[in-house]
Amino acid sequence: MDHLTRLENKSIYIIREAYYQFKDIAMLWSVGKDSTTLLWLCRKAFFGHIPFPIIHIDTSYKFPEMYQFRDARAKEWHLNLLIGRNEEKLKEGMGPGSGSKLDCCNELKTNALKMVIKKYHLKAILLGIRRDEHGIRAKERYFSPRDSQFKWDYENQPAELWDQYQSTVEEEEHFRIHPILHFTEFDIWNYVKREGLPVVPLYFSKNGKRFRSIGCLPCCSPIDSEAQTIDEIVEEIRISKTSERSGRAQDKENIYTMQKLRALGYM
Amino acid sequence: MKLFKRKTKKALIIGIDGVPYSLLNTYLQKDVMPNLKEILSQGLTLHQTNASIPDISSVSWTSFNTGVNPGEHGIFGFTDLRPQSYSLYFPNSKDVKAPTFWEILAKTNERTSTLFQKYQHKMSHPYRSIVLNVPHTYPALPMNGILVSGFVAIDLKKATFPESAYAYLQSIDYLIDVEAEKAKEDKAAFMKSLFECFDIRKKAISHFFGEESWDLFFACITETDRLHHFFFDASNDDKNPYHESFIRFYIELDKFIKYLYEQFLEISSDKGFLMILSDHGFAPVQKEVYINKFLEEKGFLLLKSEGNFYERIENETRAFNLDPCRIYIHSKEAFPGGTVKKEERAALLEELKMSLRGLRGDNGDEVIDQIYEKEEIYHGPHTHLAPDLICLPKEGYDLKGSLEKKQIFGDNIFKGMHTWGDAFCILPETIRFSKKPSVENLTEYILQYYS
Repeated sequence: MDHLTRLENKSIYIIREAYYQFKDIAMLWSVGKDSTTLLWLCRKAFFGHIPFPIIHIDTSYKFPEMYQFRDARAKEWHLNLLIGRNEEKLKEGMGPGSGSKLDCCNELKTNALKMVIKKYHLKAILLGIRRDEHGIRAKERYFSPRDSQFKWDYENQPAELWDQYQSTVEEEEHFRIHPILHFTEFDIWNYVKREGLPVVPLYFSKNGKRFRSIGCLPCCSPIDSEAQTIDEIVEEIRISKTSERSGRAQDKENIYTMQKLRALGYM
Repeated sequence: MKLFKRKTKKALIIGIDGVPYSLLNTYLQKDVMPNLKEILSQGLTLHQTNASIPDISSVSWTSFNTGVNPGEHGIFGFTDLRPQSYSLYFPNSKDVKAPTFWEILAKTNERTSTLFQKYQHKMSHPYRSIVLNVPHTYPALPMNGILVSGFVAIDLKKATFPESAYAYLQSIDYLIDVEAEKAKEDKAAFMKSLFECFDIRKKAISHFFGEESWDLFFACITETDRLHHFFFDASNDDKNPYHESFIRFYIELDKFIKYLYEQFLEISSDKGFLMILSDHGFAPVQKEVYINKFLEEKGFLLLKSEGNFYERIENETRAFNLDPCRIYIHSKEAFPGGTVKKEERAALLEELKMSLRGLRGDNGDEVIDQIYEKEEIYHGPHTHLAPDLICLPKEGYDLKGSLEKKQIFGDNIFKGMHTWGDAFCILPETIRFSKKPSVENLTEYILQYYS
């Protein structure tokens, strides 16, 4: 079996196991390449008909290309798409330009997701995060419980030995399931290529720049790149050394540092 | 049995973040820490010390790590502004402009300092150190030995040198820090996680202590600082629901100190050098004081409604504050939009001092205890990067740099605040001080031992 097929099999196994354990499950789709890959895998796992809803957390600050892509795929793939927005904060004018980016992220992403989970009584969420994405994610597990306060209790994670994933959950908690945790950025692009998967055109070079990672328009910056096709992106990543998220204005590490400092009363 | 006993020098340094001299004294008297009491009767003395100014862990530990003052090592807080800009950044180990004592001991330092110049020729050979969980050592820089960074380390891989140590840390699910965010939601669960985090810290420290070779071993325990931030009101109040847990933490701490001490006596065959120290003290907090709001009300500070943090500063601003109380003059030379001219500086400083001295709490009591101009407390090549005024508060008033507060005084979930004058150190009784030492004065005794 080749490398990509092995990765794919493992993901599909986890997706099916998750659905078997949790009927109140949904998938979080950011419209980026990773969660679109996850969406593709979910379609494969259930032969084209995903039996659970797909959530898109809409901060209202996404790129127009992302909204276009989202709506086209939702139609084409018959997705049960749920849009999560923190309307209250959006009405108050919350945005990356008004105050701290950390608060903006927290309200428009984290709290918006909290609201969706509560509204639909979800017990588990499938997410397209990868282990190689960022240092802090290296500790993530395939099945990762969160308590009602949304905190990731990483001191109390069930052990994952071999393939015996612990997938039962206590009341008031929800599980985060990461079926593509074992993919690297390089694997993702190779997989996109092999499957002929559509991706948001922002990933391809325009005027010498392309986005390596996409999120909200005001907080993303493109990298210098001439890669205009998937083949060229694969080649670029093969030789590139900088981390994929380095282009993000809201550099994750700074955000975490800020969170740590704030939790102790600084800033 | 070891066939060859090497006659090498061994030093053990235990850092205990945020433990006040006064509390330690109380707990020694109340027999909460019988082991430490016993240790203190074996040729060691407990001293009260001063923290760095400001009394922030990153500054104080960097002062200890380098043995020089902030004017020489260049770290003035957890946050700072990039030169000639309003953009906030988080200084890290790469921004420290003086060598650490373990670099001096290993003769691997690329940077220089007054302390290094004094001792560079006095050490016969390079020494190997293990440095664990010391704040402001992130990312881990290559060194002779092993280093695992402490607060504010984010990525464990980047926090570890060499990479082989990372594999071990991962295998025990090592934690860099407790999740202080938890305290807001569930204090009881947070208290529990403090003990769990301390357990894993002890496990890692014991592992490296016993399994690796070293000449100097320096480990920090930082859970104490977190404990104090959220539970300091429980330290001496037996009616407080967390009092018992608080005391239990110190009992655990006392046991661990004993464990390390006994192991150390064995390894060093009684000839080793032992130091135990904290980086600042703690006191109960009554009110948080938002200095920027005060400056705003007094007309020193004008803020735009848009932008991130200090990007909101209007050109007409004359002064602003960074955590905890580092006041910068918005001068023409230092800031792109600065409007204060050189010749106006002296008068503005006086005006600011006067205003700050007039700041009063609810009962008409003074909030500010000391105000220093940078030249009074800092010396060295980076003094020009220091804030223009630095204030120390009266106990109970926790000074803050937030830009988003609507009032000067406020309450928070925190029960403890840092204090400057009540840190401690424990040193061999042969070391005596003519005046109360500061944390950066202690470092030299380590180098003396090795020369």
